[in-house]
Amino acid sequence: MAPSLLHPPSQLSHAAALQLSQQAPAVLRSSPSTVSASPLSALFSASESPELWTKYENLLLSCLRTGDERAAHQCLERLVARFGNDNERVMAFKGLLKEADAENNGQLELVLKEYDQILSDNDTNIPITKRRIALLRSLGRVSDAASSLVRLLEFSPTDAEAWSELAEIYLTQGLYAQAIYALEEVLILAPNAWNIHARLGEMQYMAATASGAGAGPYRKYLAEALKRFARSIELCDDYLRGYYGLKLVTSEVLGDSAGSTKQNGADEFSLPDPATIERLNELATAKLSEIVRHAAARDPGWCGYDELEVAAARELLTKDASALPGVVR
Amino acid sequence: MAQVPVQTIHRDPQLFYWILVPITIVMILTGVLRHYATVLMATAPKKLDQKTIREQRSLLHGINVRSNFHVLSKRSFTTRRDALTTAYESGAYLKDPERRGQAPPNPMSDPSSMEGMMGMMKNQMAMIIPNTLIMSWINAFFSGYVIMKLPFPLTIKFKSMLQAGVATKDMDPRWMSSISWYFLCIFGLQSVFNFLLGNDNAASQMAQQMGQMAPPTGQMFGPGVDPDKQFIAEVENLAVIEHYSVLDGVEQRLLEGITV
Repeated sequence: MAPSLLHPPSQLSHAAALQLSQQAPAVLRSSPSTVSASPLSALFSASESPELWTKYENLLLSCLRTGDERAAHQCLERLVARFGNDNERVMAFKGLLKEADAENNGQLELVLKEYDQILSDNDTNIPITKRRIALLRSLGRVSDAASSLVRLLEFSPTDAEAWSELAEIYLTQGLYAQAIYALEEVLILAPNAWNIHARLGEMQYMAATASGAGAGPYRKYLAEALKRFARSIELCDDYLRGYYGLKLVTSEVLGDSAGSTKQNGADEFSLPDPATIERLNELATAKLSEIVRHAAARDPGWCGYDELEVAAARELLTKDASALPGVVR
Repeated sequence: MAQVPVQTIHRDPQLFYWILVPITIVMILTGVLRHYATVLMATAPKKLDQKTIREQRSLLHGINVRSNFHVLSKRSFTTRRDALTTAYESGAYLKDPERRGQAPPNPMSDPSSMEGMMGMMKNQMAMIIPNTLIMSWINAFFSGYVIMKLPFPLTIKFKSMLQAGVATKDMDPRWMSSISWYFLCIFGLQSVFNFLLGNDNAASQMAQQMGQMAPPTGQMFGPGVDPDKQFIAEVENLAVIEHYSVLDGVEQRLLEGITV
């Protein structure tokens, strides 16, 4: 799939981002530098469309990522010319550019002060709040970032982006229970997001295998992780991360022969019986090798897998095969 | 049955150029003007302060938990339900907790809600004033003419619609008066405005009337709604949920559904 300027560029690979930002001069030249809001010109020229502004925003982000700051500044100028300096989104982009232009931590601190100033005037400016949190995090003040996020979520608990950021921050600090809670909030807002289901499964797997987890939580986390991965595959066929996680969890459970078969309480998910786990493991192995085979052969219809993920899956399969030499499939 | 003789009325062909075309052009121009007047008069949405946002989004949060509870495990759901219920019942999310239990302020006296009403009034005015003006203009200059004959036959019921202002009993309903042309323009220019101004224009009055007929269903946070009552209602909604999870039996579904 060719990268498009109409989608946010955060998920793109480096090559795709570079390709996008190289389009910058063409895009900037082909669209008018200012769009007049006056009625007369709107009658005669093509009217502005929301897509144009989406394009500028995404182009700005791609250009910043690839270091083309001149084009980024041009994009920003056009956004400012249209929406004014007081628009919240535009303010966030201006801050982002300033952060990009800063050369050392001292200048970043200045930008941080500016954000604080803006927020003291208007404490509901959510884009700036988020920029401030991101800046705090990149300055290494992770606990400050987490507490600011909690404050943001206190008055805006329906913000999926903030919840998932909070989950990642908690995860880096090893606070698994909190991270899982935050990610569950994302799922409440987006119940069918298969990537979030898989991510939650990964977190639960990490929580289970982290040292210090007792036998009870261990089985509880593993059971839910297994179900989360299964759900993510149910929502998205041939989802590599889902199968990878499913294989990891089922191998972990099967390898853990010491674990008791004691069922969890009624409130908890419990692991399915060993035969089902065995079948799930086989399914995951078969599907993973199918995906790896097709992706390696670059079959049509099987493109779009991340190469690193495919490599990781291949590695998992080889490790699995070498660990179980006696098993002939 | 004897064939009804075709009525012929000899009209000055100039009628066509001096009535039909001017009315149409004036109607289009008013529509365009009305669109820009509405755009200019529109007030920016009022900034909500943090407490109001908190109140509204906390309620939304509860609604989300209620409608998507099936992604959670039973324990996570119960934790959330307990927390939300306690907070809702104690009024922790209310904008001003000390006003709790009092009757909501009269929306007519509340300045913040007056603004919304003013906006509606302005829109109404932008519709009524030009319509009155044009109608009286047409009445003053063009009333009493028959200006064109429709190329298709019509039943007698259309007489009152098409021949407004021409009081003749026996004339074929195919004949049209200028007022009727005006009405046709009101109802029929929507596509012209779409072409000129884009899809979400404010030029056509038909769309606005449609909007009035179906009252907005999103009146969740409007003036005169007591948030405390909404919270209490939400507590009840949460309390009656019988929890199930979409993760129950997902392995079986997966094994049955997917074949390698």
